[in-house]
Amino acid sequence: MSSRRSHSRQSGSSRITEDQIADLVSKLQRLIPELRNRHSDKVSASKVLQETCNYIRSLHKEVDDLSERLSELLASLETDSDQAAIIRSLLM
Amino acid sequence: MKTPSNSIKRRFALKFLRTLVRIRKSTHQPSPSQSSTWEIRRRAQRIKLAAYSSMARTVGSKRAWSRALTMKLRAAMGNRPWSMIKQESKKMTRRKLIAKRKRHMEKDLNSGVQELRRLVPGGQWMDPLSLMQETAHFLRCLETQVRVMRSIVAEGEGFPC
Repeated sequence: MSSRRSHSRQSGSSRITEDQIADLVSKLQRLIPELRNRHSDKVSASKVLQETCNYIRSLHKEVDDLSERLSELLASLETDSDQAAIIRSLLM
Repeated sequence: MKTPSNSIKRRFALKFLRTLVRIRKSTHQPSPSQSSTWEIRRRAQRIKLAAYSSMARTVGSKRAWSRALTMKLRAAMGNRPWSMIKQESKKMTRRKLIAKRKRHMEKDLNSGVQELRRLVPGGQWMDPLSLMQETAHFLRCLETQVRVMRSIVAEGEGFPC
């Protein structure tokens, strides 16, 4: 059904080759900690997508948690010099 | 070796830190009494929005996800619910139609792709190929954002009070 095409992007056409999707799926697989070390195993595309979704959700949750802790930190910093010190130490 | 993500990390960190300073200035209590839980929670919300918006601004208009996220954040900061964005131009409506047709092609990977569309900003309107590419970039930026936030917290919590 789908023919081999070059990698040029054709905005009007809607033909997406299985190769292109497989490429991107394996690229995603390498980005996800859960699946990164399993190149040898066959990880199905839908598993990769599932784990990607789980990973994104866990990152959002971590942002929530870190924001909460940062808010508490800002409350507890007594003086401007504390915060200047933190900023300096992070940027240098 | 300097990878592109190093500069994103640094630019994000600078923007985010500046915003944190601003948030602190506008919310800091002059009296040394404890901030209420409500105040802490409220400021946490602002910090969270600042994190996503700093990252969206760092990436700029280069990626579809960052453009979509910028739009979402503008609505959110105007205190409207995250999901109720009605800013659809004619272009968006046509794109939605195209996207709808393309969704019918996704029989095999259906549920995974549908879920991904909801998680990646702007995902509703992308073709599957672009969705995957945007996801990869979005994921790396989100990781960078989390890493920077973690190190700020680590610095701050390691400080004797």
